[in-house]
Amino acid sequence: MRDNVKGGALTEVTFYILLSPYAPKHGYAVMQFIEERTGGRLRLGAGTLYGALNALEEKGWIAPCGSGGRKKEYAITELGKQAAERELKRLEELTRTAKEIVGGTL
Amino acid sequence: MNRKCYRFFGGLISAQERWLDRMAAGGYRLIRTEKLLYEFEPCEKGKYRYRVEFVGQKSRTNAADYARFLEDCGYRVYFKNINLNWNVGKLVLRPWAEPGGRVAANRSTFGRELLIVEKECDGRPFEMHTTFEDKINYCKQLRGPWLYLFLVSVSLGIVLRSWGWAVLAAISATGLLIYQAELSKLRKQAKTKEW
Repeated sequence: MRDNVKGGALTEVTFYILLSPYAPKHGYAVMQFIEERTGGRLRLGAGTLYGALNALEEKGWIAPCGSGGRKKEYAITELGKQAAERELKRLEELTRTAKEIVGGTL
Repeated sequence: MNRKCYRFFGGLISAQERWLDRMAAGGYRLIRTEKLLYEFEPCEKGKYRYRVEFVGQKSRTNAADYARFLEDCGYRVYFKNINLNWNVGKLVLRPWAEPGGRVAANRSTFGRELLIVEKECDGRPFEMHTTFEDKINYCKQLRGPWLYLFLVSVSLGIVLRSWGWAVLAAISATGLLIYQAELSKLRKQAKTKEW
């Protein structure tokens, strides 16, 4: 997982995976959520998603929750929400700067 | 009528994928695997696609967890051996594996190094690894056994002055170079892009 532990940038894939379980979801639902939200632009391979979910679980940003029966469901943790809020601020700043420089093209 | 085929692909993972895809294109779906056996049942032509994942570096628990995750995603999975080992009660040391999978015994991923993953075609691409970072990690896992085999056979070739080991070193160097080249290509792409 290429993200800066000191509070720096998350990758797009990491951020989308982190946003998915604000409402608890199992792995396949995370995959569908990302595909729907990006209009099919971002499709995650199951191997990539599996590795990323495990990495986020190890960081304590998401945690398994027991409401899904056989399938393992994940929910975002408080720590994960804090990380998502930090990332949102960073992206807003980036978008502001880009808009200023690129001008009225956006 | 079901069809039984006997094949051995060894480390040629993509050749195995292509063969399974060709079988599916010809109307045969995999239903069972054994050491050399692949059993198929008739199906609609081109309805399924296959990917072969190397999981030999994982511990038994992690490999089973991964297989379950893939099943939850709607895929069918089959474990498959990568080598032909007829011994009973053998232990294999895998210095390139993750902790927990390093001593592969009969009850671990020994003889279950590959996962054949089947997906019903839905018109979308079927890729297991989609980000450069993950592709790089997976490529390193595939390179690991070749690197280990290369180092061992070169060392033994020199110490024992044996041509047999030298031949094995040359074979493993080929595998090593293929994955090394792929790794360099991926690293270059990953410099500016995430996926």
